[in-house]
Amino acid sequence: MNFDLSEEQQLLKDSVDRFVSDNYDLDTRQTLSKNDAGFSDTYWQTMAELGWLGVTVPEAHGGFGGNQADTMVLMEAFGKGLVLEPFFASAVLGTRAIVAGASSELQNKLLPKLMAGECRLSLAYAEEQARFDLEDIVTRATQDSGDFIITGHKSMVQHGGSADYLVVSTRTSGGQQDQHGITVFLVDAKSEGTSIQSFPTVDGQQASEITFKDVRVSADHILGGLDGGFGLLQDIAIDGILALAAEAVGAMEVLYKDTVAYTQERQQFDQSLSDFQVLQHRMVDMFMEYEQCKSMLYRATLEVVQKGREAMRIVHALKYMVGKNGTFIGENAVQLHGGMGVTEELRIGHYFKRLLVIDAQFGNSDHHLGRFAG
Amino acid sequence: MDIDLSAQDLEFQQEVRDFLASNAHVPKTDYAQWRLNWFDRAKDKGGWDVPKWPVAFGGPGWTPTQHYIWEKETAVAQTPWDLPFGLSMLAPVLMTYGNEEQQQRFLPDIRARKVNWCQGYSEPNAGSDLANLKTKAELSDDGSYYTVNGTKIWTTLAHIADWIFCLTRTSDSGIKQEGITFLLIPMKQEGIEVKPIITLGGSHSVNMVHFTDVKVPVENRVGDEGKGWGYAKGLLAHERTGLAGISKSLVALDFLRLQAGQVKRGNATLLDDPAYKSKLAKLEIDLLATEFTELRSLASAANGAEPGPESSILKLKGTEIQQRIQKLTVEAGGIYSAAWGKQPVGHSFAKGGMSGYLSSRAYTIYGGASEVQKDVVAKNVLGLKKAK
Repeated sequence: MNFDLSEEQQLLKDSVDRFVSDNYDLDTRQTLSKNDAGFSDTYWQTMAELGWLGVTVPEAHGGFGGNQADTMVLMEAFGKGLVLEPFFASAVLGTRAIVAGASSELQNKLLPKLMAGECRLSLAYAEEQARFDLEDIVTRATQDSGDFIITGHKSMVQHGGSADYLVVSTRTSGGQQDQHGITVFLVDAKSEGTSIQSFPTVDGQQASEITFKDVRVSADHILGGLDGGFGLLQDIAIDGILALAAEAVGAMEVLYKDTVAYTQERQQFDQSLSDFQVLQHRMVDMFMEYEQCKSMLYRATLEVVQKGREAMRIVHALKYMVGKNGTFIGENAVQLHGGMGVTEELRIGHYFKRLLVIDAQFGNSDHHLGRFAG
Repeated sequence: MDIDLSAQDLEFQQEVRDFLASNAHVPKTDYAQWRLNWFDRAKDKGGWDVPKWPVAFGGPGWTPTQHYIWEKETAVAQTPWDLPFGLSMLAPVLMTYGNEEQQQRFLPDIRARKVNWCQGYSEPNAGSDLANLKTKAELSDDGSYYTVNGTKIWTTLAHIADWIFCLTRTSDSGIKQEGITFLLIPMKQEGIEVKPIITLGGSHSVNMVHFTDVKVPVENRVGDEGKGWGYAKGLLAHERTGLAGISKSLVALDFLRLQAGQVKRGNATLLDDPAYKSKLAKLEIDLLATEFTELRSLASAANGAEPGPESSILKLKGTEIQQRIQKLTVEAGGIYSAAWGKQPVGHSFAKGGMSGYLSSRAYTIYGGASEVQKDVVAKNVLGLKKAK
């Protein structure tokens, strides 16, 4: 047993840590967040040049050939910087859909562009009536002389506005909540009948509401097989949850450490806030909850690397814990910073907001607790 | 022991309901004028525009139970917005410690909702430790005015206020609580600069206020020089019970149920979800208990007794409940709670949920952070020595 990073992973970690500390101070981040795309094209190109966009692309396609543990190294560092670039949307969720679900022809066409940063993907799966259930799908795709026609509405598509292609879950047969009869398509974001409305989210990122009205897609753009897309969706969601959890663990580390530092500086009642035992114990609790999340992250990631979908139960446990502990750490970081904690000026509020959004992505802690309990 | 309201109280409750039913509906046009008219009509009822003011200053002279009834009924009805700074925070100080001239000068405009006040207490280095304040007021040689220099922070609505009531330091000798002087200062003048502070919910309501050589006539001092801490302290206790917000939470909980009922889960709604249902139930149970803690506190006050130990937990429990309601609103919104900005997305209530939740994080910080409140309970109620 060994939980140390491999030599390659350590190199990856060093380079991503350097990227974050050189480029992601709060002011820069807030400025980037307000531009049209909501991130930096230059940083995106840097990510391509450093090979990060191909971290899970097989070596046969020129990628790094890594697994979820390598993604974890990157995402944890991104969490420490609240990185805005659509790495999660495109290089984690989108790329998994292509690597696991696309024909080799489509892979040959897309993967080089994805790795070069010339093309971006977003996953369009959420629908209002579904809440957090992946299989609850109303958006329909019907066959029409060899093609498919998609009609429906997808919600809260992260970075949908800057995506070139959308990975869209649709119903091709069966009832609204059946796992069978789901088909996933790769849809050109500019195809006729697709309308995309983008807006900011609480965490300074961007999302879109997307309407498909009689959008024609060729059958060779099916990912994961006709009617058999649910397994692919699950695999994407598992990778997504692991990556979000890694990002959350990075954010939690910043929150508890910033709080420890602030309470040592801040003087009230003629002593440092950190001299109060009640605050010391609170910070110990924050630290413990962070460490527990990190343990669960390692456990879930390693189990998924070994067993894939078979490790689903531990993934539920992880997402439950990330939501619960992230909220606890965020709320207490704010509380211990007092009035300063509720302003936009300090960075802790921004980390807290990201943790709140992470809890809502791919199912909140109640949802996963329910699934874990069975 | 008797849980029922007395016959007189029931009669009063009906009178309040009748008044609100015929006056509390919000018009579609000219809200500002309707609002002022509303207070006029409440005044004509016999001081209902200033429920907490003593009879000598035009208040209705209600019993604590009548206040409770009024709060509960107005939380349900759509009464016009009102600000506490002049009405509930400054006015009691002026009535007790101000001179007659000051009372005549300031109270009528406060009552007519014509003049907006803000509260200048906290400073960058005086938060929970409020007595640590440093804003300096120096008396001129001829004794006719003070010169004020310093910075106040978290000043709610300073950007729309006409006046600020301020704690300033006039002496550094003695313990921190001594040498604090209570001054009334017009906001619209040179030397006062208001800088907005944007909070996590994305809104601007609090500010930083800088004073540079601001001259304040000595007749704007309330009470004696150096005694301001004593005047403000009584006010803080008052502010803290007002922050429990039990009646509003009861209404908010009903509203939350309506919202969660709109969220579909298969063929059911979120209200049928076991985890969510259980959280709502726990919240309601805590609220039911806290409502009675408030009633016990009211009942003993009605009998002329000092507030019992139970009243010290109202702000702690009340604000925690308000925060839990906000958290459950965010959870009900699911992923749609993450939407920000103007465009409506998903469930109609979801957007803004996160903003409300983030704003609510300040409830356990302002008016005395919960940790400080617990210190006060430990010391004053349990008689424990100050922890090191």
